Amino acid sequence: MSRTATPEKTAGGATPEKTVESKHPRRPRTSRRSRRDALVFLALALPNITLIALFTYRPLLTNIYYSMLDWTLGSTSAAFIGLDNYKEFFTSSAGLTSLRITIIFTLVTVGGSMLLGLLLALALNSKIPGVTIARSAAFAPYVLSGVGVGLVWLFIFDPSFGVLAYFLRMIGLSSPQWVLDPDMALIMVMVVYIWKNLGYCAIVYLGGLQSLPTDVLQAASLDGAGPVRRFWTISLPLLSPTTFFLLITTMLNSLQAFDLLRIMTPTGRGTNALIFESYLQAFGGYSRAGYSAAISVVLFVMLIVITVVQIRYVEKKVHYA
Amino acid sequence: MKHTQRSTQQPLSRRGLLGMASAGAGAAALAACGGPSVGGDDGGGGGDEDATDYSDIEPATEIAFWSSHPGGSKDVEAELLKQFTEKTGITVNHVTAGSNYEEIAQRFQTAQAAKDDLPAVVVLSDVWWFRYYINGNIAPLDPLIEQLDIEISDYRETLVEDYQYEDKQWALPYGRSTPLFYYNKDHFAAAGLEDRAPETWQEFEEWAPKLTQGEVAYMYPDLAGYAGWTLQNVLWGQGTAWSDEWTMTCTDPTTIEAMQWVQDSVYSNGWAQVSSSDSADTFAAGVCSATIASTGSLIGVLEAASFEVGVGFLPAGPVDGPVCPTGGAGLGIPAEISPEEQLAGAMLIQFMGEAESTVAFSGATGYMPVRKSADISELLEKTPQIQTAIDQLEVARTQDYARVFLPGADQEMANSVGTILTAEGDVEDALTDLQATLEEIYSSQVEPKLS
Repeated sequence: MSRTATPEKTAGGATPEKTVESKHPRRPRTSRRSRRDALVFLALALPNITLIALFTYRPLLTNIYYSMLDWTLGSTSAAFIGLDNYKEFFTSSAGLTSLRITIIFTLVTVGGSMLLGLLLALALNSKIPGVTIARSAAFAPYVLSGVGVGLVWLFIFDPSFGVLAYFLRMIGLSSPQWVLDPDMALIMVMVVYIWKNLGYCAIVYLGGLQSLPTDVLQAASLDGAGPVRRFWTISLPLLSPTTFFLLITTMLNSLQAFDLLRIMTPTGRGTNALIFESYLQAFGGYSRAGYSAAISVVLFVMLIVITVVQIRYVEKKVHYA
Repeated sequence: MKHTQRSTQQPLSRRGLLGMASAGAGAAALAACGGPSVGGDDGGGGGDEDATDYSDIEPATEIAFWSSHPGGSKDVEAELLKQFTEKTGITVNHVTAGSNYEEIAQRFQTAQAAKDDLPAVVVLSDVWWFRYYINGNIAPLDPLIEQLDIEISDYRETLVEDYQYEDKQWALPYGRSTPLFYYNKDHFAAAGLEDRAPETWQEFEEWAPKLTQGEVAYMYPDLAGYAGWTLQNVLWGQGTAWSDEWTMTCTDPTTIEAMQWVQDSVYSNGWAQVSSSDSADTFAAGVCSATIASTGSLIGVLEAASFEVGVGFLPAGPVDGPVCPTGGAGLGIPAEISPEEQLAGAMLIQFMGEAESTVAFSGATGYMPVRKSADISELLEKTPQIQTAIDQLEVARTQDYARVFLPGADQEMANSVGTILTAEGDVEDALTDLQATLEEIYSSQVEPKLS
C-alpha cells in the first residue's frame, strides 16, 4: 500500500507539482504534529463543544424524545405514543389556529418592523438638529424589558381608563375590547411588538444607509435622478444585505416572541403563537408536557426550514457592494 | 496549480460510520435519561402506598416554604414564619415560588420532573391540588394530622372538605376565599336603591337600568381564572352546573339557558360588561356599580376605592340551594421529600392554621379565617365586611369537579365564556365544544389515573 505524502512547500514557497512516494517518510513527524494540532484543537474547542452539547443539543434531543410521549407534567410516568402528538397538532383546530396566528404575527411584525424601521432610518439619516437624541430614543424601546413594555401598553389599551380609550372617546368612538376580543388582542400585541422592535431595524438600516457609496449616489444625482429614484434604484438594492440580515433576524425573533404575548394576553386567546401555545400546554393549566414538546419541535423545524430557504434562495438576490 | 475539493472531503470510513452511530446512540441515550419513566404505571393516587410512621421521626431543622403570597401576604407570612422559628427552632426558607397560583404550580411541577429542590410546604390552589394528587406529587396528611394532633374539627368544614378525596386529606386550608358581591354604595344611593346586595340576579336585573352612575351597572370578572369559578354562582342558581361529579353538564338545556342569560346581560340588555383586567380594580376605580371578586381582594378594594364599598352574598337564582363556591389556596406537603421534612412541614401547616395565625393572615389580606375558634373581634372592628364573607361560608359549597379536577378545564371554560361574552358566539355551540373538550380531558388525563 502506498501513501501520498502531503505536498510541502519549497524554500521559495512554491509547491512541488510532483507528488512523492513516501518510503521512509517524515510521516511520524507529520503525524506527531497532526496529533499535537488535534490536541490543541480539542483543548480549545472541547469545553465549548461540551457546553453546547450539554445545554443546546441535549435539551433539543430530550425535547424530541418527550414529544413522543403522553406525559403530564409532574407525573413520574409517561406512555410512548410515537407521532400522535404531532398528528393531534396538525389535525386539531386548536393546533392549526396556533399555526395561523404564528404566520400572521410573524408576517405582520417582520414586515411592519422592517418597513417602518426603514422609513425611520431614512428620517434619522438626515442632518437635522437633535438627530442623535432621536436615534437614541428610537432604539430605546428595543432594549427595554418586554414585561415592562407589556404592562405599560396594557394601561394604554385599557378600554375603561386607558389613554387610547380617552382619545377615542374625545372623537366620539368607544374603545375596542383589546384584550378580550381575540382578533383585537392579536392586533394589539402586533402593534406593541412592532413599536418595540422597529428601533432595532431602524438602527441597522441607518448603518446600512451610512455605508452606501456616496460617489454612486452623487453620480446619479448629477445624471438628474431625484431622491425617490435614487432610493429605489440605488439605495434600496445596495441595502439588500442589510435587508437580508434583518429578514433573518427579525423573522427568527418574531417566531420566538413570548414575553409581550404572555404579559398582555395571559389566556392566549387569539395570540397563542406556537411558542406561547407550547408554554400554555405545559404550564398554562393543561400540564401536557409531551404535546408541548411536540409544538416546540414543530417550531424548531420551521425555524430551520425558514433559515435554510432564506440562505439558499433569498440571499441569491442580495447585492453585495 | 489546482486545488480540488477532493483533498478536503474524505469518504465516510467504516470507523467513521461506527463513530457516528455511537455518537447518535449516545445522544439518544442521553436524551432519554431523566424525565418520566416510560411504560410504567400511571403514577396516580398520591404517595400513600406505605403510610409513614412518624412517631419515631425527628422533624428537620431547616425546611423550605414555597408561596405565591396570596393577597399580598409576603410580609405577614414572613412575620408568621419568624414566630414559627422562635417557637419550634425550625428554620424556614421563605421562597417566592411564583406571583400567582399558576406560576407556583409551574415551579412545583417542574421540580417534580427534575426530582430536586422540593419544599416541605407548598401553596396549592383549588384547581391544582387534585392534579398533584393524581400525579402522586403530594403526601396524604392524615398520619401527620394524627401524629401532631392537629385539631381538624376546629377548621371550617367546607374548607377542609375541599381537599378530601378517597377518604384522605391532601391539604389543609390557608388563603381561603369565596367570591363576594361588591357594590358602590354611592351609586346605589344615587339610583334610589336599598343599601344591600341583591338577593337574586332577577332583582339585580330590575335594578340595573337605574345604575347609570358608572360606565356599566355590573362588571363580570376577567376571564382568566375567574369565569369558570364565579359563573358557577349563576349556574347553581339555575339548578345546573359545569358538571355533576364526573358527568359534564355543559350542554344541559338549563346550562345553555343560564349562559344565554349571561350573554343577554352583555349584549341584548346591555347592563353588564366583562372586565379586561382585575374586576376588583375596575370596581375600585368607579367604572362599574357592582362586581363579583374574591374575598381576597377585599382589603385592596377598601384601600383603593374613593367611595363607600358595600359587600353582600352572591345573588341567588330561582332554584334554592347554595350558590357560592369556595376557592383560594391550601397548604400541602410533597410526597418525595424525607419524612423528617414532611413532619417539619406539617408542623408549619399546623402553625399557619392556628387561630392567631389565621386571624393575622386574614387581617393582612382579606382571606377568611379558617378556624372556627379564631377571635375575629379585632379583625371585624377594622374590617367589618369580613363578617359577610364568613357568614357566606355557611351557604358555600365545594366546586364542580369539571373546574377543579380537570387539567386545563378552567382555561377551556374561560375560552368558552370568552366566545360567548366577548365575541357574541352562539351559546349552544360554545358549550357543546366545551363539553367535548372537558370529556376528552377527563377520559384521557384523569379517568386512567383514578383508582
